[in-house]
Amino acid sequence: MGYSKTLKNLALLGLVVTLSACGVSSLEVSGSYPTPNVRQIPLTLGVYYDEALRNFTYIEYSEAGKEEYQIASGQTHMQLFDSVLPAMFERVIILNDLTAAQTEQVDAVFVPSIEEFQLALPQKTRLDSYEVWVKYNMRLQGPQGDYIADWVLTSYGKTSTATFRSVEAGINDATVGALRDLGSSFTLSFSSVPEVRDWLGAQQ
Amino acid sequence: MSSEYRSSIGMGRTGIQTSMALLCIVLLASCTTTTVDEFRQGETGIESHESIVILGRRQGSSYETREEFVDCVGDRVARGARAIRVIPEKEFIDSMFPWFEPRTAPLRTSDLQTLMEEQLVADKIQDYGIRYIVWLDGQTETSNREGSISCAVGPGGGGCFGFGSWEDDSNFDARVWDVSSFLNVGTISTDASGQSYVPAVVIPIPLIARVEANACSSLASQLQQFVNGD
Repeated sequence: MGYSKTLKNLALLGLVVTLSACGVSSLEVSGSYPTPNVRQIPLTLGVYYDEALRNFTYIEYSEAGKEEYQIASGQTHMQLFDSVLPAMFERVIILNDLTAAQTEQVDAVFVPSIEEFQLALPQKTRLDSYEVWVKYNMRLQGPQGDYIADWVLTSYGKTSTATFRSVEAGINDATVGALRDLGSSFTLSFSSVPEVRDWLGAQQ
Repeated sequence: MSSEYRSSIGMGRTGIQTSMALLCIVLLASCTTTTVDEFRQGETGIESHESIVILGRRQGSSYETREEFVDCVGDRVARGARAIRVIPEKEFIDSMFPWFEPRTAPLRTSDLQTLMEEQLVADKIQDYGIRYIVWLDGQTETSNREGSISCAVGPGGGGCFGFGSWEDDSNFDARVWDVSSFLNVGTISTDASGQSYVPAVVIPIPLIARVEANACSSLASQLQQFVNGD
């Protein structure tokens, strides 16, 4: 009796392990981002993270067309902007609603969005690295919603395959690298975007 | 003593001697050859209150200098009687964010001079007391993979049988920038290569040539002498 029960449990465990191996692997990207060393712009910036950014999830499909990895990076994107923007602007206010921009008396509202996310896995590319490319659309608008600037930024992150590093850890590190790249290019290129430069000039 | 018994002792001795000779050959063959070249372009020297930072180049698309190698060189330069204060790479890059990221780091000494015009950057470099920035660039490549090892497990036990070998080749350059004069004061290059073997008779015995570790120690000791102006 005891023997057959053990066999049943083992068979059940085997089934669970087999089924879980076939399922999609979910990953919430996490990382830390340093504060930039740049001259602060003496303005108040409102930031609005829309639902699409907050809940951004990329799905990587297997060659057979099945969902293989679900990579959630919305929260870590917000964490990056929360770390970068207060170093760039004198005051930063997170807006839950775009209509709150006028009552908060912000000088402009920044609305970032992800347009495209690409992932290259070593098992598919036959290279020794995990790579992530992200294309963003950055929008800067006035408190009433009037257009100030709209520009595209791309970022890239790479991490090499290493012994005992899981696929999830490789994807996480490559994504964090891409976000760090975004942080550096956004910080350094912000004032050089022609429309932003004109707007900054008009504020002084 | 019977002649049959003497013969089996002789056979055993021959077997042990052959195994030992084979082991010696393999051990010697798994040694590493290292060459270090130094090209000096300016005077060097460092005061006790000054420090250096060793950074890996990561601009290339085909490879990037491994963080572990940079840490290894840094640890060794910071050791011994002529030890130099080394700022950890990660700490430096984070505190200088976003100026030393793969896409934004200065590629030439003239870029560093332009970067130092940013007061925030100049202040940080001064706070750390950095006299030299050392750029490490290179990688370890594995080639000539040969042989195969098969392992099997059965109810009575398991084991492996076979033979594998490969060659590692490490090539690294260290460019030393003087922060006070914005000049490239010299370049140290190291090239290390070695063959590794894994013979397997029941148990695999890895005989690994420590190629990258040797490249690291050779480069670090030469760099330490170079920066101290010895």
